[in-house]
Amino acid sequence: MTAAPAPAAAPPLPETGRSRRRGRRTQSGVSEATRRQQARLGVLLVAPAVVLMAVFLVFPVLNAVYYVFVDFDGLDTTPPWVGLANFTELAQDRQMWAAAWNNLIWIVLGTAGPLVLGTGLALLLWGVRRGSTFYRVVFFLPYVLPQVAVGVVWGWIYAPTRGWLNRGLEAVGLGEVTRGWLGDPDTALYAVLGTAIWTATGFVFVIVLSALRNVATELVDAAMLDGANYRQRLRSVVLPQIMPVFLMVTALTLIGGFAVFDIVFVMTGGGPANATEVLGTYAYSNAFQLSRISYGTTLALVVTALAVPVAVWLNRLQRRASSEGLGA
Amino acid sequence: MRGRGRAYAPGRPGMGRNLTLGLLALLTLFPVILVVSTTLKSAQDVRVNPFGLFSSFSLENLDTAWTVGDFDSYLLNSVLLSVPSTVIVVVLSTMAGYAFARLPFPGRTLAFYLVVFGLLVPFFAYMVPLYFQMRSMGLLDSLVGVNLVLASTQLSFGTWFMRAFFSDLPTELEQAGRMDGASEWQLFRQVMVPLVTSGMGALAVFTFLQQWNNFLVPLLYMPSGDYRPLTLGLYLFIGGRSVDAGPLAAGTLITILPVVVLYVLLQRQVTQGFLSGAVKG
Repeated sequence: MTAAPAPAAAPPLPETGRSRRRGRRTQSGVSEATRRQQARLGVLLVAPAVVLMAVFLVFPVLNAVYYVFVDFDGLDTTPPWVGLANFTELAQDRQMWAAAWNNLIWIVLGTAGPLVLGTGLALLLWGVRRGSTFYRVVFFLPYVLPQVAVGVVWGWIYAPTRGWLNRGLEAVGLGEVTRGWLGDPDTALYAVLGTAIWTATGFVFVIVLSALRNVATELVDAAMLDGANYRQRLRSVVLPQIMPVFLMVTALTLIGGFAVFDIVFVMTGGGPANATEVLGTYAYSNAFQLSRISYGTTLALVVTALAVPVAVWLNRLQRRASSEGLGA
Repeated sequence: MRGRGRAYAPGRPGMGRNLTLGLLALLTLFPVILVVSTTLKSAQDVRVNPFGLFSSFSLENLDTAWTVGDFDSYLLNSVLLSVPSTVIVVVLSTMAGYAFARLPFPGRTLAFYLVVFGLLVPFFAYMVPLYFQMRSMGLLDSLVGVNLVLASTQLSFGTWFMRAFFSDLPTELEQAGRMDGASEWQLFRQVMVPLVTSGMGALAVFTFLQQWNNFLVPLLYMPSGDYRPLTLGLYLFIGGRSVDAGPLAAGTLITILPVVVLYVLLQRQVTQGFLSGAVKG
């Protein structure tokens, strides 16, 4: 969500082949005058969207590429050209590597957690008729909420003296592990991750559930007659059928993990003692708090570039899935 | 299909499964229940007995958040930032989506690459230079400027989304319309658009939620705080000083309530928006 881990981070490219074919079909059998009218209307209809994207997307992206090669402090109208200095600084910046390491932990756990939990939930709900809409609405809800609000509530849950988590731990006799979960550098990252997993699980759940509804139940039935037990049916019959969708949701969650920002920024701001600093928050604080505009931009572009291979992989998966007629 | 799945799904739904699901649902909802409960308790009760759920009833926390916490103006600003940007996205995406799906026009390939580019590049990548661009255009702290930015972050997705709806319509419709002497504009406006209103509705709901929840765009481009939306107001409410949990819970409730209501009422459209961002090719 949210500019939350936006699901639209890298949506599939529509197949241009199909539209071109369709275009030709409409052209054939229409008069020259109609075609001229179509061309004019097409340009007029696309123009507003194109202008907006040119001004608020293409232009700033080009500027970002320019910022990377200069040293811009936000005031200088002709900032000095520095070549690749921003990149060499980045490679030697120990704080950047610490943030990158946290980011890696985030990507791994923040993907694995929701995948396991969301798939488990979907399997649990699969085939349940009574109340299935209710459960779907409930489990997806955290993903729809604004991240700031989510951060506030989980802040209470993790609070040192009056937090619900500590309170619950005391109740079950684990009083010695209680702490200020967000204030302790050893646990802060994992506490924020726990919150993020709570929100992302619903996303995986909804997508896997919709894939499960397309599973050929005859095959599951046949396997059951052949004496396959639950685990065998799951591994050999069900999972292979939902694999394309499963891989897609994996890629999407991975992409969201690279650019994580809102939830960390709101809950800890990167602290305590940089324990939760990720590349996104580090880029933000460089650009907007330390006025190191060029360096912050370089960081943001690097984060984006790192996610590109995953996005390409995702796109390939989606195209294969759509050509096989799969989908939700 | 769903009914049949019951018999074939691995494992039979029994008491145990329903119990587990119910428990997990409760666990998932707990943070939301906590917000509602804390909001509706009296301020005194929140201080003395923070762990009691629904142990008293009072609207004073809501009152404090509304009057002292400025959540009334945050709410208005959220509307002023989400509604116009959503309208822009839905209208422009429907127009562009139709052109890409149905009309041959010069520059089409190039324009299409622009849409794909927008799908691939996240806001995060260009947020810094956009700040300085907005500053030099005099659009910082401006409702118009921030609405335009919010709209342009969703335009690519919207165009791609609407294009899929128009592509699915049969070509016979156009031919019949042309036979009747309709102009291309009339075909678009009076024949095609009415057939994709369900798609426009889903796009509107999905976009509205994204804009309502957006935090980074107003954080960056509303620096003076004149038009602070709920997300930003809530963030600043927790920052700096330690506030009472009661009014904070009330502020959180005001922020999430429109989202929850919209989502529960229109969950099909909302889920469709999120799903098509993920799976449909």
